[in-house]
Amino acid sequence: MTALNTAPRTSRTAPARPVTPPAKPRNPWRVVITVAITVAVILVFWSVKVDWARTVNLPADIARYLWLMFSNPAWDKVPEALWQTWRSVEMAWVGCLLGIVISFPLSFLAARGIGPAPVRFVLRGLFSLIRAVPEIVIAIVILSVTGLTPLTGALALAVNGIGTLGKWGYEAIEGVHPGPIEAVHAAGGSRWQTVRWGIWPQASPEFVSFWLYRFEINVRASAVLGLIGVGGIGDMLTSYTQYREWPTVGALLIVVIIVTVAIDLTSGAIRRRITEGSRVRDLA
Amino acid sequence: MTRISPETPAGAAAAAPAPWSIRLRDATVRYPNGVVGLNKISLDIEAGEMVSIVGLSGSGKSSLIRTINGLVSLSSGTLEVGDHRMDLARGRELRRLRGQIGMIFQGFNLAGRTTVLNNVLVGRLAHTSVARTLVGAYRPRDRQLAYEALDRVGMLERVYHRAAHLSGGQQQRVAIARALAQEPGIVLADEPVASLDPPTAHAVMGDLRRINRELGITVLVNLHLLDLARGYGNRLIGLRAGEIVYDGPAASATDADFERIYGRPIGDQDLLGGAASSASTASPVSLPGEPV
Amino acid sequence: MSAAEYPGLPAKPGGRWKIWLAIGIIAAITAVTLAPGIGVDFSLDAILRNWRNGTEKIGQLLVPDWSFFPRTIAPLWETIQMAIIASVIGAIVSVPLSMWAARLTNPNPVTRGIVRTLLNIVRAVPDLLYAAVLVAMVGVGALPGIIALVLFNVGIVVKLVSEAIESGDPGPGEAARAAGATQTQINRAALLPDIWPPFINQALYAFELNVRASTVLGLVGAGGLGLLIDAVRTFYRYDQLSLIILEILVVVVLIDWASAVIRKRVK
Repeated sequence: MTALNTAPRTSRTAPARPVTPPAKPRNPWRVVITVAITVAVILVFWSVKVDWARTVNLPADIARYLWLMFSNPAWDKVPEALWQTWRSVEMAWVGCLLGIVISFPLSFLAARGIGPAPVRFVLRGLFSLIRAVPEIVIAIVILSVTGLTPLTGALALAVNGIGTLGKWGYEAIEGVHPGPIEAVHAAGGSRWQTVRWGIWPQASPEFVSFWLYRFEINVRASAVLGLIGVGGIGDMLTSYTQYREWPTVGALLIVVIIVTVAIDLTSGAIRRRITEGSRVRDLA
Repeated sequence: MTRISPETPAGAAAAAPAPWSIRLRDATVRYPNGVVGLNKISLDIEAGEMVSIVGLSGSGKSSLIRTINGLVSLSSGTLEVGDHRMDLARGRELRRLRGQIGMIFQGFNLAGRTTVLNNVLVGRLAHTSVARTLVGAYRPRDRQLAYEALDRVGMLERVYHRAAHLSGGQQQRVAIARALAQEPGIVLADEPVASLDPPTAHAVMGDLRRINRELGITVLVNLHLLDLARGYGNRLIGLRAGEIVYDGPAASATDADFERIYGRPIGDQDLLGGAASSASTASPVSLPGEPV
Repeated sequence: MSAAEYPGLPAKPGGRWKIWLAIGIIAAITAVTLAPGIGVDFSLDAILRNWRNGTEKIGQLLVPDWSFFPRTIAPLWETIQMAIIASVIGAIVSVPLSMWAARLTNPNPVTRGIVRTLLNIVRAVPDLLYAAVLVAMVGVGALPGIIALVLFNVGIVVKLVSEAIESGDPGPGEAARAAGATQTQINRAALLPDIWPPFINQALYAFELNVRASTVLGLVGAGGLGLLIDAVRTFYRYDQLSLIILEILVVVVLIDWASAVIRKRVK
């Protein structure tokens, strides 16, 4: 049967027989769900306590404040800002290290095939519990013992880090190729020999990569922790925001942005080296 | 053979383009990395021809196909399609010309997650305003052209299927329908059957031949398998290192000619094998030299 | 030396020094961050001083003040409203921005560079700092919170989606270009269909993050549960804080579950 046998040229503008496509399949559930979600979203927009009419002036307002902040930033505050940023980065670093040290063994215990099932279950529950609570709330809980010091910030970041690093860790361990593990089993290796020589060589680049990524996250989070008074750039920024010293706020934001972007770029470059290095090793 | 003169019917076919000729003069393509794709090629292809282009990978056959619709631009020389200087066309004019040239790819290049219909309507984009495209409101005439094109390749039943759910051969037919929906003067095909199994490959090649015979469209097909090149083309062009080393009737090209094009003895890997399947047996005329 | 271990053993490859250098740098930074005066102060006397009082407070966490529940309903609802609104606005804004930021959908290096640089800057500032500054600009309430979340949202979604676009198949776009389409048409008709699933995925992921983030924005006056957190912490009512944390947990788990269900359907 040839599909191409209708008189060609004429049919292009005036088809001899109009081609009718088969009936379009309809999925009523799809329509219902789409309508339901749209209505829900509209209701949320309508019910929230926001004066949407005010948003008309918003772009102009924000432009005015941006001008106040960045037209003439208070450069004399930069040395102090850099010092406070350093304190934030310290919190991030110490919190990251603590998080790594604690989460590292836990992520192995939480991985299928290594930890016993009850331990695995408890640890996974703990990880997701921690991840659900924002760092700043953890910090508020911890500060009742440690007081308003950078240590509180570091500990809060460490706790939060256990949640994320632990999860990424056991996922990475469970994601390795089973071949090398079988090989170690076949050679009579014990459980921990399997971890060391079957799993770790494959998972190590990933681990290092997300340790670095966690540090990037911590750098941002540590600036936020300053808001509750544990020190660092966030502390300084909220004070000057409350005084409405816009040129200083502008200068502080510039410092935050430059330091964060610089750390991101460095860490990102190292991560790329590590993961691409691992790919080369895989091919070899 | 039912080749119909492009001028019919009077008036009504104003929108339908005539098949286009292709004229290359001293055409050179040099890529930014220094690789020469085409080296001073001069070539005339008449409107309505069916041409097989053969050569090893890297011989320049992909460069040639891509040059003709401006996906690759000439470093020097001239290119005319129909009455238009393709090499000088830019922006809107370039898009208008591309709109008259259908292209078929080795990897089908369908958007897998949307329907067959939406994929075929991509062929109408050059005739559709950006505003209409954004909301997906194609004109009824464009839809009608898409249905017709799908009907021609026997895929109308699948119009609302997701492209990714089709087999390779079906996907390539949808891709052919996309090219036909453009109402093209030329159809270019870049290794259209290299990802397909032999029976499907013959079916798709048969479709291309029927496009050429029944719609009169100029068809250029890149191939690396010599039995397909011999069996489905009327004319055969051999490329090697960016230069034309053979140009003659496809049916009478000998194995020695192919060895000259490939620069090595030919063997089984250069043949697809398998009899031309339903697609070509269904066509009214069988060409001499068709694979048996 | 190796010759003594085994005849013909090749010398150990070089390059181990890089690992030792990395360890040295990490140790040095750690030493500085823990040094007295310029580092995180690990002095234990504050902890010892607060210990009794602190453990008592943390003990309160174990007995939530259920009678506080009615007062938390309105702020909790506002938190969810803020997250939903910011996610919807953020998702809509992210579609064109993602396409501007990816090479496949925007071949122009100048505009692509501008969009990417702006987004890197937007991403460098954490959501709570945005909220703190915005509260000073537009006043307390849900509005500064929503704006802060939108910025946060756009930063994440555009980065992840533009990366998904770059790693996608250029074929359909090439086919549309060959058929004479403009870049906008290529993006809409040939590339958007295949971008859609990763886009929905990342938008949902951003929504999950938004729910977490929106619970604390009130700490700087940007509306939602955070306002209550700020109030109860001033009075050290850890039994009430405990209830709030429980509510955050429930909401986050529910939203994650709902978004997982939707994700599965989109695939």
